[in-house]
Amino acid sequence: MKKFNIAITGLGGQGIITAGTILKNAVLDSVMEDVSGSERRGGAQREGYVEAFVKYIFYDSIAELQNPRKNMHSPMIASGDADVLISLEPLETLRAASYVNKNSVIIFNTNPHIPISVRMGKNKYPELDDILESLYGITDNVFYYDFNKLSLENFGSIISCNVISLGVLFAKTNIPVSKNVIENILLKGSKAKDNLRAFNIGLNL
Amino acid sequence: MANLFVDGKYGDRGIVLGNEAIARGALEAGIGYASMYPGTPASEIIIALDKNKKNIKNLYTEFSLNEHISLHGAIGASWTGIRSLCAMKNVGLNVASEPAHFLAYTGVKAGLVLAIGSDPGAPSSSNEQDDRWYSLHTYMPIIEPSNIQEAKDFTKKAFDISEQFSFGIILMAPSRLCHNAGILNFGDCSDRDLISGNFKRDPENYLNLFNLAVKNHKKYLERNELLKKYVYNSELNMIIDAQISSTKSSRIGFISSGIIYSHLIEALNFINADNYKILKLGITFPLSEELINKFLDNLDEVVIVEEAEGFLEFQIKKIAFEIGYHGKIHGKNVFKAYGELTIDDVINGVAGFLGKAAPEYFTAAVNKSEILSDKTPQRMGTFCVGCPHRGTIYSILKASGYSNTDSKDRDVIIAGDIGCYTLGLLPPYNAMDWLTCMNSGLSIGQAISIADKSKKIIALVGDSTFYHSGIPVLMNAIQNNSNILYIILDNSWTAMTGHQKTPSTKTDIDGTPIPNSVNLKDLLKSLGVSYIKTVDPNSVKRFSVIIKEALTEKGLKVIIAKRECILQEERRKKIKNIKSKTENSPEMFYELQKERCVKCNECFVELACPAIQSAKENGINNGKEYYFIDPVSCVKCGVCYEVCPNSAIRKVEFNLHPVINSALNPESQLSFLGNK
Ligand code: SF4
Ligand code: SF4
Repeated sequence: MKKFNIAITGLGGQGIITAGTILKNAVLDSVMEDVSGSERRGGAQREGYVEAFVKYIFYDSIAELQNPRKNMHSPMIASGDADVLISLEPLETLRAASYVNKNSVIIFNTNPHIPISVRMGKNKYPELDDILESLYGITDNVFYYDFNKLSLENFGSIISCNVISLGVLFAKTNIPVSKNVIENILLKGSKAKDNLRAFNIGLNL
Repeated sequence: MANLFVDGKYGDRGIVLGNEAIARGALEAGIGYASMYPGTPASEIIIALDKNKKNIKNLYTEFSLNEHISLHGAIGASWTGIRSLCAMKNVGLNVASEPAHFLAYTGVKAGLVLAIGSDPGAPSSSNEQDDRWYSLHTYMPIIEPSNIQEAKDFTKKAFDISEQFSFGIILMAPSRLCHNAGILNFGDCSDRDLISGNFKRDPENYLNLFNLAVKNHKKYLERNELLKKYVYNSELNMIIDAQISSTKSSRIGFISSGIIYSHLIEALNFINADNYKILKLGITFPLSEELINKFLDNLDEVVIVEEAEGFLEFQIKKIAFEIGYHGKIHGKNVFKAYGELTIDDVINGVAGFLGKAAPEYFTAAVNKSEILSDKTPQRMGTFCVGCPHRGTIYSILKASGYSNTDSKDRDVIIAGDIGCYTLGLLPPYNAMDWLTCMNSGLSIGQAISIADKSKKIIALVGDSTFYHSGIPVLMNAIQNNSNILYIILDNSWTAMTGHQKTPSTKTDIDGTPIPNSVNLKDLLKSLGVSYIKTVDPNSVKRFSVIIKEALTEKGLKVIIAKRECILQEERRKKIKNIKSKTENSPEMFYELQKERCVKCNECFVELACPAIQSAKENGINNGKEYYFIDPVSCVKCGVCYEVCPNSAIRKVEFNLHPVINSALNPESQLSFLGNK
């Protein structure tokens, strides 16, 4: 059995769950492929953290697929067990860093969104350099971009950050899914043209 | 693309949410009635059916006023021979516990399934209660699916079991299943043309009083015994035998159910311990003594892996005692009884128990996360940009003379309640003094107004919560002339759970008028409230003056803070004019002029609209900090404009969208990207 775990984190409204669903749709064509993974929205409406897990499972044999000791998968990702962490907010990258290990890839958005406690002066928002230092302390494979700026410049809004980050996922990791499959999913969805363009922007970063 | 949820048939596959899988299972089972009072994490179960009902023949859906009504509705439908699905969140069963306690007495005619979304870790609830314990006295059988496929298959099966044994069946789904999306293999739906109800008198079962109740009590205990025999043979339970016998590992077994079972299987693989005997319980009430006996046979020790207080452990220990089992039974001595039981908890618990090491990368990550969490300020939810509740909470704090500094004792007590406005209890507002269950605000408040006359009391309630069970509380307060200011935050929708209509919602999102909607003000008048004022919560200055005045009056005062939920208002706008955006007409924006702003924090901290943000002058981390309004997220509610004491916020007109403006011209005043 091969597995590939992706954790996506960020804030409400950033399209975290949509990104997860796009990825999950990639395994519908083969019975030998499976996917699990839950979403969690913290603290209700806006500003709260949101995370989505995508866990790909590729069975080696029909026997394995039918083996009850092998064919059941937790919807959560254990500490250190994510192959990739995508985060659309720097602070949330730090919070989710427990999902990754020294071989994992981290892709994150450098555009900060200040939490209320920092607004109130009770906490300090960590400097980007500190965040990077912490992340490089775990893995060398860290890629970061200002997705907000890229989305804004290309689409006049920040709603494409999530799909751009998916492009980066395919450019910088060995995700065992063909990028054509994702392009086909985007093609069938709403705003297909924008999404395909956003995906390609990510691919070329 | 075809709508799989409605048209899917055997052989189709799709990525489906846990809640949708439950709804689809019910559809395949041929339900004709579906009801709920919305509640996270269960809401999408009925939403999935409701939004598709135009395309589903013979299906009635209802967002009832509360869970008590909603379960009663499902019972009524079942009595006419129509299969019915009722859904609610965990605490909903407290409200529906009365009908739940009668269901075994009366039994069902057509299958009835009660799907309950539990919320371990309470990300969306005010407690973590495990509703399974109710079944020790309601005798409602409990089914627990472990993944998306089982969520559908077990729901479908539950209807058959319900009919066969005449019990309403509980389908338990924690938020990790409700909000898990995975592959679903569809089945066929039964013929919907055949659905039609026919109520037949059945006094023996439906009438319960004196000896009739006793007779039905006896009958359901007998049915429960029959059900246990079924449970013994049911394929919903599964024993996985150890592959190699007579080793030490073959003397240890694990029992689990639901999502936690999926954690268990993964945890055992994680630590390469895949040779233990396992009992997967798909039916967790009633348990079959015979099945437990068969499993415990030749085991020295068994570990029960479950969330919360240990419902399975309680039952299994009782059975073990009765059958004279001499081995050890572990459960809550290994796993915590509070909070969500995560995959990490299960890995740690199982590895610790077996004396095996978790992989190095796992322990390294756990250790790392402890160090990192010190560096990571918490992030909590807050009101949406432009949310009218922000205006209400802000006005209350201003009127009662409190800044949002942490709570000391105050002269004005603010009672919270359940709904989006609950977020007012979080920083920066810290505006609430208690929060428990639906309508606890006014209920507890009216007693405090009698017991502590030195304080003034404001009780908050949302429109949906008010209609849920607030009217009796209000009548009680009226009759006893409680000295309270009751603020009804009327945003026209049950917003928190995805905008279901409330009894006073007048127009649907697409503009269709909703018939028979209640006029809240008339209702209050007819109940005998003499002090009623209606205010726009976004007119914060006016609102705080009115609150101040009301607090000086004696007796019961009601203020209706009336403004539609901003998300709905925005959606409505979008539906109405998708065009005009590209036209070259100038558009108005609010702008925070950084040279006038003295950073008094009235807008940034006290009001704390998330669209007002801060940045450093020379990039992310360099230079002087300044505040700005992010024109992308600002919805132009104008509240910050009203509260700024220094006239630093002004209206400006632009031809081009300022975002595009600033992206094209980084020198622009409105550039908020903070990039080097
Ligand atoms: S006008 Fe002010 S308070 Fe209203 S949404 Fe915009 S920034 Fe926020
Ligand atoms: S209220 Fe006015 S002066 Fe105070 S921080 Fe906001 S914009 Fe600046």
